[in-house]
Amino acid sequence: MDIDADLGPRVTIRQTEQDHVDFILRGVDLSVANSIRRIMLAEVPTLAIDLVEIDTNTSVLADELLLHRLGLIPLISEGIENLSYSRDCTCDQYCPNCSVKLELAARCDSDSTMNVYASDLAKFHNGLRLGDPVIRDAQQRGPLICKLRKHQELRLTCIAKKGIAKEHAKWLPCAAIGFEYDPWNKLKHTDYWYEVDADAEWPKLANCEWEEAPDPDANFDYTAVPSNYYVDLETVGNLPPNEVVVRGIETLQLKLAGIAVELNKDSVEANDAAAGALTTYGRSPARDGDSPNNGYAYGEGFGSSGW
Amino acid sequence: MGAKFRTLEREQRFQNPPTDQSVYPLLRDAVSPHIGSFNALTDGPDGGLLNLAVKDIGVKTIFDSGDENRLGNKLKIRVDAVQLARPAVAPNDKLSVSRRTFPSECRERMVTYRGKLMMKVAWTVNDGEEVSEVRDGGLVPIMLQSNRCHLEKMSPKELVDLREESDELGGYFIVNGIEKLVRMLIVQRRNHPMALIRPSFGNRGNLYTKFGVQIRCVRPDQTSQTNVLHYLSNGDVTFRFSYRKSEYLVPVVMILKALVETNDRAIFDGIIGSDTSSSFLTDRLELLLRNYKAYNLNSKNETLAYLGDKFRVAFGATIDVSDIDVGKEVLNRIVLVHLPDNADKFRMLLFMIRKLYTLVAGDCAPDNPDATQHQEVLLGGFLYGMIIKEKIEEYLQNIKTQINSDVSRGVTVNFNDRRYMSKVFQKVNENIGQKLQYFLSTGNLVSQSGLDLQQVSGYTVVAEKINFHRFISHFRMVHRGSFFTEMKTTTVRKLLPESWGFLCPVHTPDGSPCGLLNHLAHKCQIAVKASDVSGVPAALAQLGVSPVDTFAAGPKMCCVQLDGKIIGWTTHEQGKLVADALRLWKIEGKHNLPRDLEVGYVPPSSKGQYPGLFLFGGHARMMRPTKYLPLDKEDILGPFEQVYMNIAVTPAEIVKGVHTHVEYSPTNILSILANLTPFSDFNQSPRNMYQCQMGKQTMGTPGVGLKHRSDNKLYRLQTGQTPIVKANLYDDYGMDNFPNGTNAVVAVISYTGYDMDDAMIINKSADERGFGYGTVYKVEKVDLGQSRKRGDPITQHFGLGDDEWPAEWKEKLDDDGLPLIGVKVEEGDPICAFYDETSGRTKVKTYHSSEPAYIEEVKLLGDEAADQECQQLTIKFRVSRTPLIGDKFSSRHGQKGVCSRKWPTIDMPFSESGIQPDVIINPHAFPSRMTIGMFVESLAGKAGSLHGLSYDATPWSFSESDTPADFFGEQLRAAGYNYHGNEPMYSGATGEELRVDIYIGVVYYQRLRHMVNDKFQVRSTGPVNSLTMQPVKGRKRNGGIRVGEMERDALIGHGTSYLLQDRLLNSSDYAQTPICRSCGSLLNTQKSVPRIGSLASIRCRGCSEKLEVITKKGVYVNEADIWEDGHGVKFVGGDDTTTVAIPFVLKYLNSELAAMGIKMRYNVEPK
Repeated sequence: MDIDADLGPRVTIRQTEQDHVDFILRGVDLSVANSIRRIMLAEVPTLAIDLVEIDTNTSVLADELLLHRLGLIPLISEGIENLSYSRDCTCDQYCPNCSVKLELAARCDSDSTMNVYASDLAKFHNGLRLGDPVIRDAQQRGPLICKLRKHQELRLTCIAKKGIAKEHAKWLPCAAIGFEYDPWNKLKHTDYWYEVDADAEWPKLANCEWEEAPDPDANFDYTAVPSNYYVDLETVGNLPPNEVVVRGIETLQLKLAGIAVELNKDSVEANDAAAGALTTYGRSPARDGDSPNNGYAYGEGFGSSGW
Repeated sequence: MGAKFRTLEREQRFQNPPTDQSVYPLLRDAVSPHIGSFNALTDGPDGGLLNLAVKDIGVKTIFDSGDENRLGNKLKIRVDAVQLARPAVAPNDKLSVSRRTFPSECRERMVTYRGKLMMKVAWTVNDGEEVSEVRDGGLVPIMLQSNRCHLEKMSPKELVDLREESDELGGYFIVNGIEKLVRMLIVQRRNHPMALIRPSFGNRGNLYTKFGVQIRCVRPDQTSQTNVLHYLSNGDVTFRFSYRKSEYLVPVVMILKALVETNDRAIFDGIIGSDTSSSFLTDRLELLLRNYKAYNLNSKNETLAYLGDKFRVAFGATIDVSDIDVGKEVLNRIVLVHLPDNADKFRMLLFMIRKLYTLVAGDCAPDNPDATQHQEVLLGGFLYGMIIKEKIEEYLQNIKTQINSDVSRGVTVNFNDRRYMSKVFQKVNENIGQKLQYFLSTGNLVSQSGLDLQQVSGYTVVAEKINFHRFISHFRMVHRGSFFTEMKTTTVRKLLPESWGFLCPVHTPDGSPCGLLNHLAHKCQIAVKASDVSGVPAALAQLGVSPVDTFAAGPKMCCVQLDGKIIGWTTHEQGKLVADALRLWKIEGKHNLPRDLEVGYVPPSSKGQYPGLFLFGGHARMMRPTKYLPLDKEDILGPFEQVYMNIAVTPAEIVKGVHTHVEYSPTNILSILANLTPFSDFNQSPRNMYQCQMGKQTMGTPGVGLKHRSDNKLYRLQTGQTPIVKANLYDDYGMDNFPNGTNAVVAVISYTGYDMDDAMIINKSADERGFGYGTVYKVEKVDLGQSRKRGDPITQHFGLGDDEWPAEWKEKLDDDGLPLIGVKVEEGDPICAFYDETSGRTKVKTYHSSEPAYIEEVKLLGDEAADQECQQLTIKFRVSRTPLIGDKFSSRHGQKGVCSRKWPTIDMPFSESGIQPDVIINPHAFPSRMTIGMFVESLAGKAGSLHGLSYDATPWSFSESDTPADFFGEQLRAAGYNYHGNEPMYSGATGEELRVDIYIGVVYYQRLRHMVNDKFQVRSTGPVNSLTMQPVKGRKRNGGIRVGEMERDALIGHGTSYLLQDRLLNSSDYAQTPICRSCGSLLNTQKSVPRIGSLASIRCRGCSEKLEVITKKGVYVNEADIWEDGHGVKFVGGDDTTTVAIPFVLKYLNSELAAMGIKMRYNVEPK
C-alpha cells in the first residue's frame, strides 16, 4: 500500500456497464475523493429542458406540472462541452450555440387514452445526438410525459439548456454515487453499533474482499488515513459514466484553476498595492518593496505544478 | 403481512369503473347511519316516519264564529300524508330535456340539491265529508345517496358519468353549493328509566331533593318527550315534563290515577309488591298517597277533568273539547309516550317510582348519563324528520291563526268554499323547505317545542373535503352536545370503559372539544330501523316469565322490559337463564327473534345498578358485531348489555366458562382513521391522537372529480403515493384512491443544526423533483346580479364594451371579457370584464390576493329557470405551492415539524450505496415522545422498498415473542443491510464517515395544509388606527404583531431599553407635539397665523391674553408681541412653547380626560 501511495492517484475499474461504473480510487486524500464525488453529483454540466413555450395544453396536467415533468426528462448530453451556457452566450435569449430545441405535438383523436412519451419529443436537427431524450426501454418510448384522452392536445416547444445540478436537480448526471472507504473500519472513523453481536447484526461489506482483514491483535494505527475509495457511480443516462468522471475531474480542475488565478490576482494586486495602488480593500499603506511575492507571473504557474 | 400495492388493479378500476357495485362496501357502511336515517323518513312501515309524524300531529279544529256564545261551523283540518319528490328542475324551466337535477350541477352552480315536499291536506266541515288537496311545501334539501336522491343504487360507472366520485358516499346535503351534514348527537337511551342524582334537581323548589328518575320516551316517529320523577324530602314524588319549552310539575299519583281506574291499594302493591317489611318504603308510600288526598280526586274521570282544566290553555284546546278529553290528550302527548296503552304506562310509572325510592334508600346506584350504556345516537335523518314534523304542525297552526284573524277582522269565512280555503293556503307560509334549508346552512334550530333537545345551534357542519380522511371522519363523528362544551367539569369528557368498541378511544381532538367530539369505532353501526321484536313476548312466556299482572315489584324480582314496556317478572336466577336462552335463540335465528336484539341483563348486586332484564330492539342504538363462542356465529352487541358480558379481545385469552364472546379483531375498537396509523400499538397514545388530527389536516387528494367542484379552497398534493407500510384496512376503505402523502427516505440524525426543535431538513433535489408539491385551488364567484333588485332589468353584461378601456386588460382577458385559461394573474390584475349600461363604461373585477395564481377554469352559471342572460360566473384559480421553508410536514405518528432548510444534495449525508435522505429529522424528537411506531414504520418501509413489497401495519398484529424489529430485521438482513436499520453514513461536506451509524429508513410523510404563505405576517410601515395612530392589528389588513405586556416584561427584564422604546414608541405612535412650558398643557398650544413681519409660531392659548383685554388695562403692547389666531382674534404672550416627542395616545388620553373635566399638566425639562 505504501508503494501505491507513492505512485500517485490510481484508478482500478472493477465493473462498467452502460450507465454504471464501479471503480477504486487510490492514492488520493479523502478531501480530493469527496470533492470529485461532489462535483460529479452537482457540477457536471448536462442538458435539460429549461424553457417551454406552450402553444396548446388541453391535457389534464396543469402547465407548471407538465413543465416539471418535461424538465426531468434526461436528454443525451454527450457533446455538451460544445454548447455554451445560455447566460454566457452572446445571443438575445437562446440560440443553437447555447440551446437545443425540441418540439412536442400530440393530439389524441381516438377513443382510447393516448400516452405521450419522451420519444415523441422531436428535436430540431443539429447533426448530433445531443439533446435526444434518453430512451432505454424495449419499446423505445422513454419516460411517460402525459396521457391524453380524445380531443386533448399538447403543442409546445422546449428549449433545453446547459446547466448544473447545483441549480436544479434536473441537470443531475448521476442517480447516486456509492462512496466508501475502509470497509473493515480499521480507521475507527465510525462505530458499528450493535445490540448483541456486531458480526451477526452487521452485514459484511462486499468491499472487504479488496482489503486485508485487520489483525485483531495489532495495535490501532492512529496515524492511518483513508486511501482507497470504492466509488460506485450510476448515471441517469444522459452522460456515459466515464464521461461523468472525466468531466467531473475536469470541472474540479477548472474550479481549482479559477481559485489559483484569483489567488494570483490578489498577490499581483498586493504587489501593486505595495506601490500604493488600490486593493479590493481600499488603499493599502505604502510599504517598502519586500511585500510577499511568490514569484510567478499572472496566469502562469499551474502548468508546471504537477497537473 | 398480506398488504399489496394493487397499483394495476386500481388503475384498471379507474379507467373502467365497475358497472355493478362499489368495491369498497365498508365505505357504504361508514355513512349508513346518515343515509339509513334519512331513508327511514319516507320508507318503512306505515309510510315512513314523516307519515307517522303527521298522524301524530293529529287534527286541528277551527270555528268560524267570532261570537263567544256560538261556536259556528267547525273545520277539522289535518295533513293526511307527506311525500318527498326527487330533485328536479324548476317547473318554469322550459329548456331542460332531462327534468332531473343532479348533485354535481348543484355543486357547480352553488345551489341547493332539493326536492319538492308535497303535503296532502285534508279537512272536513262540520264532520262532513273529507276534502283534500295536495299542497306544495317548498323544496326540501335532499340527502345524497338517499332514496330521494338520483344517485341511489348507482354503479360506480354511472356515478362517474354523472361527474361524481366513483365511490360517492352520500350522506350529506348540498346547500348553496356547500356540502353540509347533520352531525350525530349523543342523547339519553330511549325508553329506559335512568336513576339520577343531580344537585340541580334540588333547585326546582321547596322540598325538592337531588334524586330523580328520568326517562326519554320516543314516539314511533322518533320525536321524544322526557319525563322526570322527582323525589321530595317529604316522601312525595312529582312528575315533571316540559311542553313547548315550559316546565310543568304534577304529583305522580295524579298521573297514576288519571291513567287507569285504580285505587291506593293497587298503587301501593304495584310499587311495593311483597317487600312490605321495608319501613322506608312503606312510610314514604303512605306519605305519597296521603299527600295526594289534599286534591280530593278519586276516580279516573275526576282526575282527568282536573288535569284537563289545568292544561286547557297550554294545550290550546278548543271550547268543544271536554276537560276529560283534554286530560286524555295530556296523557297521550306527555306521559311515557313510547307506550300506546295506559295500563302499560301505569305499570312503567310504578316501576320508575320504585326505582326512585330504591335510589333514595341507597339500595341502587345512580346510572351514569355519561356512560355509553345509557346513551344512543340522535341521527341526522331523524332530527330532520322531527323538524319537518314541527314545521308541518306550525303550518296547521298558522292556518288556524289565519282563519281566526279572518274571523276577527270580519272577512267572510266559508269553509265549504274551496276558493276561500285556497286563499287561506296562499296567505299562510307554506315554504317548509326554506326553513330546512336555513337549518342546514346555519345549524340553528328554530323551534317552538325545542324538540326535547338541549341545544339550539351547532347541529350541522360543513363536510370539508380537505382530504379523504377529513371527509370520511365527518360521517363517523358523534358530538356529546354543545351544552357540555361550556361545562367546567371534565367528567363528561372522560373516556369510560363502557364505550369499548363503540366510540374510538384514540380519535378525539385535543383542546376544547376533547372527549365531547368522538368518532364511532369503525365496526360500530347505528340502528336505523326498529328490529322486529314481535316474537319476544312469546319467547319470554315460553321461558317462564310470569305475565305483567303478577304481584311483583322491586329490585328483588327481575323485571323484564322490552323497549320500555314491562313484559313480565321473574326471579333473578331465572332471569339470567332467560337472558342466556334469548341470546342463544336469537343467534340461532329461532323463535322469530332478531339478531340485533339487545339483551341487557343486569344482575342483582349490592348497591349496584338497578337489576332487571332490559331488552331493546329500537332505532338509534349503537351496535357492533362480535363472535358468539357457543355457536361460533356473529352476535350483534349493544352498549347496554356489553357492560355485563365477558368478551375476550383475542382468541388466545378466552377462558372457558367465563367468556361467551370474542372480538373479531382487536382493531374493531378503533375508528377508521385511528386504524390507519401504522403500528399505532407501538406509540405513546397521545401521539396517535395527534395523528388522527393531522391526518385530517393533510394536503392530500380531496377527490378525483375536482373539475366538477367549486369549493372555496381545495388543497391537492400533486405527488401522492401509496404508503409502503399500511394497515390492511387502508385498502378496504379505498384510501389509495385519495393518496395523502409521499414515501420519503428519512434519516434520524442531528446534522446541520437546522433540524433543532422539530424542524426538518428537506433535500433540495428531492424538493426539485416534486417532493410534497401541492396546489391550492381557489374559487371566486362573480355575481353581477348581486346589487340588482328582483324584477329590475339587467344593466350589467359580461364582456368588453365598445368604450375605451386600458389595452393591457387584453393580456389577461379574452375577447369575451373572461380571463384566458392558464394565464397568470397577480394582485390587481383584471379577472373578468363587464359592461355597465348605466355608466356606459367597461369595468373589471380584479384579483385580490397577494399570491400569484393561474386561471384554471371559468364557469358560466345560469339561473334557475335558464331563461336569463348569464349574470354569474365562477373562476377557479390555481395557486402552486412548492414546499417552502416554514411549511409543515408530519409523519403518521404525530411527529410534526416545520421545514427549516432545503439542503443541497451534495452536502446531505449519504450511505455507502449513495442513498441520500429526502428528509432529515432530529433524534431528539423521539425520547420524550416515544413514537416507536415511527421507527418500526421506518424499518418496514426500508425493508419494503428493498424487496418491492408492501407491508401490513395493522396494530396488534405482532406480539412480544414475534416482534416487528425481528421480522423486519430479518428482511433487512436478507437484503444485505444492518439488522436494526442502521447504516454507516458519510458527511456530504467532508466525505468522512460519521462517528455513529445512522437510523435511516422509509417513512410516509404528509404535508399539512398549514403553510407559511397563508400565515406570514410582516410589516414595516402600514395602516394605523386613526384614533390612536397605532398600527392596526390583523394579517389581512397588513397590520402589526402586538408587543404585549409579557413581551414588554421580557424587554424590560433584559434591560433592552432602546429596543423597548423602538417597539413601543418609534415603531408605533411616535408623534411630535407642541407643549407649553409654563402651563404644561398639551392641548392649549396652537399655531398662530403668520403676519407681516413674523412667521407662524406655536403659542399657548392658555398662557396668552387677549389683546383687547390688555389694551383695556392700558398696557402698551409691542406690535411684535401680538399674534393672531385663525379667527382674527389677537393675543399677547404664551410664547414659552416647545416641541416634545410623545406617544400619540397620550394626547388622546389627554383629550378624553379633558372631556371629563380633568386637566393634565406636564413638567417640561430641561427648562
